[in-house]
Amino acid sequence: MWWEDIELGVTTQLGAYTFTEAEMVRFSRAYDPQPFHIDPEAAKASFYGGIIASGWHVASVWMKLMIASSQKRAAEAGERRTGGVSPGFLNLRWIKPTRPGMTLHYDSTTHEKIALKSRPDLGLVRSLNMAVDDNGETVMSFTGQGFWPRRPKE
Amino acid sequence: MIDIWFEDLPEGRTLDLGERLVTREEIVAFATEFDPQPHHLDDEAAAKSILGGLSASGWHTCAMMMRMLVDGLAIRAASMGSPGIEEVRWMRPVRPGDVLRMKGEVKAARVSKSRPEMGIVDIEWTLHNQREQVAWMKATGLYGVRHPAAGGSA
Repeated sequence: MWWEDIELGVTTQLGAYTFTEAEMVRFSRAYDPQPFHIDPEAAKASFYGGIIASGWHVASVWMKLMIASSQKRAAEAGERRTGGVSPGFLNLRWIKPTRPGMTLHYDSTTHEKIALKSRPDLGLVRSLNMAVDDNGETVMSFTGQGFWPRRPKE
Repeated sequence: MIDIWFEDLPEGRTLDLGERLVTREEIVAFATEFDPQPHHLDDEAAAKSILGGLSASGWHTCAMMMRMLVDGLAIRAASMGSPGIEEVRWMRPVRPGDVLRMKGEVKAARVSKSRPEMGIVDIEWTLHNQREQVAWMKATGLYGVRHPAAGGSA
């Protein structure tokens, strides 16, 4: 699959993920040890009223499900997937807190393709990525970016 | 001990969060859980990839930046979390053995209109290793406004 083959406006469901308190606290102890992420008593007294997941944990699970989804797609298409590279992301919004036991449903919609003058062998694809809760309310959104190889010219 | 409030983060204030060593074990452990692509997991496959060697997942770089931000700022500050990140740029690979240094500058600071006890602070962060700049982030943080009864600046 080449950059030229990617269609815009296509949504891929990446799957669902349930956050347990133990896992949320383990991630946050390593990378985001603020009281409202790691200490149930302090969290109760905080602005958030209870333990919430680190926003970086919620975003990292998007990556986990994205890799699983793209590996599955490549296997079904009989392609060898070598991995992708990204220059970064835009407009990451943590809209609602993720609390213990919540299940988030992740998806990704292609929305922009940019040819690169500096790298004619690569193209950039931007996607709108979302995590929504069981009620369909958006918990997180961001614009992702990935480089894709261009179809070699004959 | 909370000694940094919204008032201590005016526009133009610079911040130095110190250093963090990146280990191979940590790169592989994070990638195994959240971003299992060959260039984050395996030296031989990584050497053949576009990044030319084992490197940290960009989401791992973000998680490490968050940990530096917590240890160097948020843990001392009346931090109330974050509504989001305007942009992250993954500029150069982060390698095993890199020593990362994170610095920031406050770009905008305003009191929330709907919640006057909360201040909204936009900070641009740079991340360098021992050779070059590896990442850039513009993030919004929420910080408690010092209660008038608490007196002047810290």
